[in-house]
Amino acid sequence: MSETKIETTVHGMMAEFTTVDSLLSACRRVRDAGYTKTDAYTPFPVHGIDKALGIKPTVLPWICLIAGATGTCIALAMQIWMNSIDYKYIISGKPFLSLPAFIPVAFELTILLASFGAFFGMWALNGLPKFSNPMFTDPRFDRATDDRFFLYVDASDERYDAAGVRSLMADTGSDYINEVVEDDSPKEVPKPVFLIWGLSVAASLVPLICILTMRVTNSSQPRFHIFFDMDFSPAKDAQQVTSLFVDNRAMRSDVPGTVARGQMEESLDMLTGIDVEALTLTDPPRVERLVRAYMQADDQAKAEEQETLEKEAEATDEATEAAEAAPASVMDTTPWVEKNPLTVDADLLATGQQQFAIYCSVCHGMDGYGNGLVNQRAQSISAPTWVPPASMHQETLYADKYPDGKLFSTISNGIRKMPGYAGQIKLKDRWAIVAYVRALQKSQNASLDLVPDAKKAAVEKAVEEAKAELKRQAEEAEKAAAARQQAQQ
Amino acid sequence: MSEHAAPAVKPADDPAFQLPASLRSLQMPLLGGGLVALLIGMGLAFSVSDADMPRFGMSAYLTAFLYVLTIVLGCLFFVLIQHLVRAGWSVVVRRVAECIMIMTVPMAFLFLPILFSVFSEGALFIWTDPEYASKLHLDENMWETKKLFLNAPFFLLRALIYFGIWGALAVYYWRGSVNQDETGERAATDRMQYWSGPAVMAFSLSLSFAAFDWGMSLAPMWFSTMFGVYMFAGGILAAHCAITLMTYVLQRAGALKEEVTPEHYHDLGKYIFGFVVFWTYISFSQYMLIWYGNIPEETEWFFSRQEGGFGYLSIGLIFFHWLLPFFGTMSRHVRRRPGVMAFWAAYILVVHFIDIYWIVMPEARMVEHHTIPGFGGALGILASLLCVVGMTALVVGLVLRVAGGNRVVPVRDPRLRESIIFENI
Repeated sequence: MSETKIETTVHGMMAEFTTVDSLLSACRRVRDAGYTKTDAYTPFPVHGIDKALGIKPTVLPWICLIAGATGTCIALAMQIWMNSIDYKYIISGKPFLSLPAFIPVAFELTILLASFGAFFGMWALNGLPKFSNPMFTDPRFDRATDDRFFLYVDASDERYDAAGVRSLMADTGSDYINEVVEDDSPKEVPKPVFLIWGLSVAASLVPLICILTMRVTNSSQPRFHIFFDMDFSPAKDAQQVTSLFVDNRAMRSDVPGTVARGQMEESLDMLTGIDVEALTLTDPPRVERLVRAYMQADDQAKAEEQETLEKEAEATDEATEAAEAAPASVMDTTPWVEKNPLTVDADLLATGQQQFAIYCSVCHGMDGYGNGLVNQRAQSISAPTWVPPASMHQETLYADKYPDGKLFSTISNGIRKMPGYAGQIKLKDRWAIVAYVRALQKSQNASLDLVPDAKKAAVEKAVEEAKAELKRQAEEAEKAAAARQQAQQ
Repeated sequence: MSEHAAPAVKPADDPAFQLPASLRSLQMPLLGGGLVALLIGMGLAFSVSDADMPRFGMSAYLTAFLYVLTIVLGCLFFVLIQHLVRAGWSVVVRRVAECIMIMTVPMAFLFLPILFSVFSEGALFIWTDPEYASKLHLDENMWETKKLFLNAPFFLLRALIYFGIWGALAVYYWRGSVNQDETGERAATDRMQYWSGPAVMAFSLSLSFAAFDWGMSLAPMWFSTMFGVYMFAGGILAAHCAITLMTYVLQRAGALKEEVTPEHYHDLGKYIFGFVVFWTYISFSQYMLIWYGNIPEETEWFFSRQEGGFGYLSIGLIFFHWLLPFFGTMSRHVRRRPGVMAFWAAYILVVHFIDIYWIVMPEARMVEHHTIPGFGGALGILASLLCVVGMTALVVGLVLRVAGGNRVVPVRDPRLRESIIFENI
């Protein structure tokens, strides 16, 4: 702003030209005369006018570059933070930090911020928004948007001198030179503008108010849904039907040969109880079948494997019958896993004990002697097809003759009349039962030396108590029997 | 438009519009040397071919051929697009582009060895090997369907169509421009502008399909609908570089001293910068969709480009085909310095070769047993370089020959004056 005068403020001097060339030569004259606070107004962009006016190259490209680089950094930092640090989530099987997936967003944000930088940087550099310009006070200036070209020298220029500028401009061949004075039209915003603003704001609130009203007031009408398909997703729920597939099932089964994520965490050894590496050397087709059965959910392979196991068990039984003394595993050529793949500790044994109590003890008994409640009942009614459950304490079931893997396989797939429990007991729990059965077997042949010194006394006491209890029970039973006999007599 | 102080357009027979004698004398050495280098390179390349890389010899030739062809076609597109948008600024450099554009005709003859190789089984394109499908245990129905497109006679027919379109366009626009030098009729410009729209459409489709035929079908089971655009992006970038570099060489030799100004280098530089980004955009888009989809039949192409030394080339393309020229040509201060722009143009012409090499060469390996793609050792690299240098020299020799017989600027183009006085800002 220039210094204020009493009557009107003079902002500068303008000259009107009729052609681009006369404007350009005037610009050069003004530039060469040393004026720097100048501007030109043309109806269209004129190439070369920057040079003619001596305008220095703009810094806008730098603003644009820095804004763009900021966009890249923000986008990368945001995605790395969100996807790789704060909320790790596997998307499409890619690593948490996978740069190619971040590039599109980084690219878009670069463009966005670079555009903002260019657009708002241009505004800032041009002093926009500016609703009025003193140039508008001159009615002839209206033709700057049509067919006239204007050159303007600002009064705040160091070299400004009204008469000098006027004569310089006259020299360049301008027909019309005039001082640019302060716009003296009223400065307050016209009242209708406020009215229009107010109405616009009020109108824009109407939808919001309607929605709020619907959300908070009681109504006998059904609830209003702004986004119906977000409230009622068209996705199918479990067990629903669909016309999309021939079998009308909305739930799809696994594609053959695939494994769902999280379904294949364990090794084949752990799944089957078989030392697969050793089996590879002796029976490759069976390994292939195991892979299909356990890793690719191939039902047919599973059935075939089951058949093999049954045959093996039958063969073992026959062999055992044929030669009573022969070890049970004489016909068993499968290389079973020898050692429990899980770390055997107190926790595992506790789990095994619990699971054994739930699933096994009903037949095999809590102590594993094969006299569970089901067996007792079957004996008492003399069930004709009942095969007594095996005792866990026969030598043929000890670890050296009946390896852990085989025991696991028996629990999982069943043997003779016993069904497989793979569907009911979890994989790790089955191995826990194996560990517990081993402990159970050991317990029946344990010597007192194995018991820690601190607990020896307690164990001895318990044994005494148990013996006394057994004696008492036997006496009671005898007494009762005698009493019954007397009663009958 | 503007009428301010500008140099008057020189008369049509001014020496500034003739090919300088120093360049004229280079014609024969370039033609002879190029031919010799190409033949030696081919000989070497065939000697490198072995059981692991049975198609190395013809692949080296195809690399050189595609390198030159993409630049030539890029120049054809440059000319078409200048007419399509009725550009004024580019008239002073348009004849340079036209001289390269007309090389479409000799390129058709240089295509003959590739055509012959299609009729000799498995010499270049693996799909010409009759046992290809059985070796890879491909589904028969699928392969039968693919063969409807990928067979030698149809390949020949398509090649004829492509070169027919490009030859017709190149000759039409060349004749129109050269004849105008004599007649100076304005109607010639109008005619060329009139046909430029359909010409661009015909050009784009034929280029896309040619890229499928000659680049993509090297790996017959792989497909990318973007591949044509990808080849185009590299080609149009290299074409702008070739125009910039040749204009600079012409100026250094004494022609066009006053006609081509930093303003024109500035504009060419903007295009180079823009097409560096465009190439990156297209090649990354092609990569990212395939990477994200992660379907074996699609990833195979990129997978084989991550093995052996080609992994380094893949990473190298990111840095040297994008990052370096991107920041190198970003500033207007660089673009307005002809010498610096000429350097970047030459640089990009080198990395364009690496791009083409990266597209073609990994497919030269054996396919029945997956072998890691290789460069054929030092001898193989030398052979590939000799081939491309030879063919480039040969074509540059022809360009100089054509330029020597005509003027290096369309001297009577109605927009010549506008182009000479053109200013960016």
